[in-house]
Amino acid sequence: MIETNFRLSCTVNGEPIERLVQPARRLLDLLREDMDLTGTKPGCEAGRCGACMVLVDGQPMNACLMMAYQCEGRSVVTIEGLSGCGQRHASGSHPAESYADEPHPIQRAIVAEGGLQCGYCTPGIVISLAGLYNRTVAPSREQIEEALSGNLCRCTGYEGIIRAAMRASSHPDPTP
Amino acid sequence: MEKPDDDRSSSEGAAASSPLNNRRSAGRWMERPDGAAKAAGKLVYLTDMKKPGMLHGKILRSSYPHARLLEVDVSAASQMPGVHAVLTADDVPGLNGYGIVTQDIPVFCTDRVRHVGDVIAAVAADTAELAAAALSAVRVQYEQLAVIDDPALALAPDAPQLHEGGNVLARTRAAFGDADSAFDSCAVIVEEEYVTPRQLHLYMETEGGLFVPEEDGRLTVYSPTQHGYKDRLQLSRILAMPEESIRVVSSPIGGSFGGKDELNVQPYGALLALYTGRPVKMHNSRRESVRSSIKRHPMRIRMKTGADKDGRIIAHRADILADTGAYATLGREVLMFATEHASGPYRIPNVLIEGLSVFTNNGVAGEFRGFGGNQVIFALEGQIERLADRLGLDAWELRRRNLREADDPGPLGQKIAPTDGARQVWEAALRSPLMTKRGGGAQGEEPWLLRGVGAAIVMHGGGLGYGIPDPAGGRLRLADDGKLEAVFGFEEFGQGVISVLTLLMRDHFGCAGEDIRIVIGDTDTVPHTGSATASRATAMAWQAMQRLAPPFAESMLRKAAELLGCTLDQLETGEGGIWRTADPFPVWDCQSERSSPEACSPSCQTLALTYRQLAAAMAEPLVQETSFDFPVTSSATPAVGSHFLYSYASVVTEVEVDMLTGKVRVLRTDHAVAAGPVVNPMGFLGQIEGGSVMALGFTLTEDVVMEEGRYARQQLDTYMIPTIRDIPRQVCVEAVEQLPEDDPFGPRGVGEIGTVGLAPAVAAAVRNACGSWISRLPIRPEQLIRPYHAVRQHWRGGDIGD
Ligand code: FES
Ligand code: FES
Repeated sequence: MIETNFRLSCTVNGEPIERLVQPARRLLDLLREDMDLTGTKPGCEAGRCGACMVLVDGQPMNACLMMAYQCEGRSVVTIEGLSGCGQRHASGSHPAESYADEPHPIQRAIVAEGGLQCGYCTPGIVISLAGLYNRTVAPSREQIEEALSGNLCRCTGYEGIIRAAMRASSHPDPTP
Repeated sequence: MEKPDDDRSSSEGAAASSPLNNRRSAGRWMERPDGAAKAAGKLVYLTDMKKPGMLHGKILRSSYPHARLLEVDVSAASQMPGVHAVLTADDVPGLNGYGIVTQDIPVFCTDRVRHVGDVIAAVAADTAELAAAALSAVRVQYEQLAVIDDPALALAPDAPQLHEGGNVLARTRAAFGDADSAFDSCAVIVEEEYVTPRQLHLYMETEGGLFVPEEDGRLTVYSPTQHGYKDRLQLSRILAMPEESIRVVSSPIGGSFGGKDELNVQPYGALLALYTGRPVKMHNSRRESVRSSIKRHPMRIRMKTGADKDGRIIAHRADILADTGAYATLGREVLMFATEHASGPYRIPNVLIEGLSVFTNNGVAGEFRGFGGNQVIFALEGQIERLADRLGLDAWELRRRNLREADDPGPLGQKIAPTDGARQVWEAALRSPLMTKRGGGAQGEEPWLLRGVGAAIVMHGGGLGYGIPDPAGGRLRLADDGKLEAVFGFEEFGQGVISVLTLLMRDHFGCAGEDIRIVIGDTDTVPHTGSATASRATAMAWQAMQRLAPPFAESMLRKAAELLGCTLDQLETGEGGIWRTADPFPVWDCQSERSSPEACSPSCQTLALTYRQLAAAMAEPLVQETSFDFPVTSSATPAVGSHFLYSYASVVTEVEVDMLTGKVRVLRTDHAVAAGPVVNPMGFLGQIEGGSVMALGFTLTEDVVMEEGRYARQQLDTYMIPTIRDIPRQVCVEAVEQLPEDDPFGPRGVGEIGTVGLAPAVAAAVRNACGSWISRLPIRPEQLIRPYHAVRQHWRGGDIGD
């Protein structure tokens, strides 16, 4: 076999990682298969549902469309990193201090407002909103809708998600 | 029903009828116990699981919608390195078939394929890529057969027969009076054909799971389903293994909506795991999910409805033709439900409903939230609107004149549990501010935007129905660690059964969340409590707890009294354990330092014994079990499938139609739901909000278009469900909780009813906005679009600009 693997170095949830990845390896597979970060979900694997959303340098990205090698030198934050549990299976490492084991305000709000049912879309929704709060303090309903326009939820009808986002937007928290 | 963000915490007095949005007052607005883990991405779904040494399974499906299967050659595929098993029909040790009622779906096809989801072979390999490569190395020879892609074709005399019994899965008939001759005495008659789409459940988690052969010879199946025991039964037939040798772990689930009730990948995962002796993971891609999953039945419904000049409906006829696809699954039951619900909550003396469910090569249709009610209520409510129009009557008033009374029999003449739900939701709808705008259309912000209000009413049965085994039950247990366990065979697919059970435990025992452990979703630990389908789980959990809690509490108190040396009536269950009540012997060491019983407030009570201490003192574990059946009608000879407990709902909606693009936008919806007391307000609200957005897709965009038996829409880029941008700006949900005083049945289900009423309400609103009658879903913009000049004509005087 021809050795075409790419040596990737980036950070995932604040932890520096270095890995050989195939050029066609998706970020989604790197996270779910190689790193056991299964909070990032496959819903369509076509960039349509947003269940696979992660933050790359603070911007929400579809992990099903992004190739692992494209993360070179960048910072990837998954839902696990947002809530601070970090790399659950990374041996010998512990989450960086900046990822305290505290739910993000949007995570608290989405539970408090009934913004989730089956929960399968929830990590992606939370990441999209976290990305929004990174850019915008106290976003409007329009900005919230714009930020979530790439996230599908089949259970909630989005009403609880909007309640949660409005609630969290009145207590913005710029982390991480 | 004002703004949903109003603070309603002071509306205590309106307990019988209260908007749910933001309802926090009663202390029942409870965060889901599984919510934090879900929001943190920590909850492990069954399709997230892996095991060391695990193989990846994949399924080869038919290349043709209808063909004879001449030869399947797996030799090349089997020899590929990294491929551990390639299985076909020859490898099924037991029954080569499955299906909830009739086992007519081949696990592997032998001589014929009937839809593009039919399975020919399954592969387990070291990686998913290798498994996919092996699939393409399986050589299959087909002889194509004529494709039946329309139920009308299936009924043609010379049509190829898809099954031994022919192309008709089921026929239904419900008749009262003499509809055909009663039409003669009608002042007006409306007749219309309604067409509804093939809707995809589109649960966000596609089908999959992990299948693990255990060292003791048992098999563990980690795979989502709505009824673990039923999967276990079906798998035991296929695998020729005793049921006890199979453990089905089936929760948590990333959405189902009826779609995961039938088996999907389980037979293949199980067979591959047993053949290879290694854990096998299966997880469908979205395309494969679309190709293989069951869908909502497309229906063609012809209705003829007649009324006298005062608007009393005298005669009603419905002919339902359902496309059930290639196999039975619950097609017959869906048709029965549609037949029962096709005359709705109305008193009609002469009714004739006939249904036909027909096999085609269009995939497979089956169970889907609403269960055939969505289609017929869309048609029926459309008839009511047309009748009102012809009579020059207000459509809501027309409904009132025909609405059922509390004690009326059910739609099939069966005795039903009396409630005034129909009237309650009819009245609730009138409280919607939108209702003042019904009737005439109005102009939106631009001259080409036309607004209209429409409303609809729904009656929806819960449970499986008369004559269909519908057992329920449950178990309470004081665990060794002092947790109060509620053990039920229901599944958690997001609807909130864990919350419901937690709230019921709190209600009955006054205990805290930390005192409770909910055990569900594992056939090794849960009792038979029936399925989490048919809007039944909350109702059955409530009824089970009514039976379980009093004796269980008494057993705990009896033991505690014995340990403490006091009498039973001095104790009660509460947070953390058994409490000594202040009355009649208040305890001295309380804060108030008073001893007179009258003066004692609840804060004087003391925790006498923790649940853990009580558990430790038990000689044997305290367990209380119950089993009973879902209540059914007591009529002498009821129709099979007829229901006894019904929920009612009304929907009022305002839409805006863009006459230049034909696009319909739903601006606001007000729901009223009469389903008895609300156990879990957050779940109730979520069911109605979520259900109605699912209905919005059914109304405006969703249709799994098929061309000659093939899916023309296979991904989320062409099959469009509502996004956050498509939902109404305002949604109000009102729960009407009042039941007759002597009602023993408690909460009715609301899992499905939210998906039913929106389509007819939107159709009525569109008609009121722009004059077009809608008889086909999803509403096609082409039907509504008007040339620019026609729009200008319509709004003479409106400044349309150039
Ligand atoms: S899985 Fe990436 S967008 Fe759906
Ligand atoms: S909560 Fe189930 S898809 Fe959003």
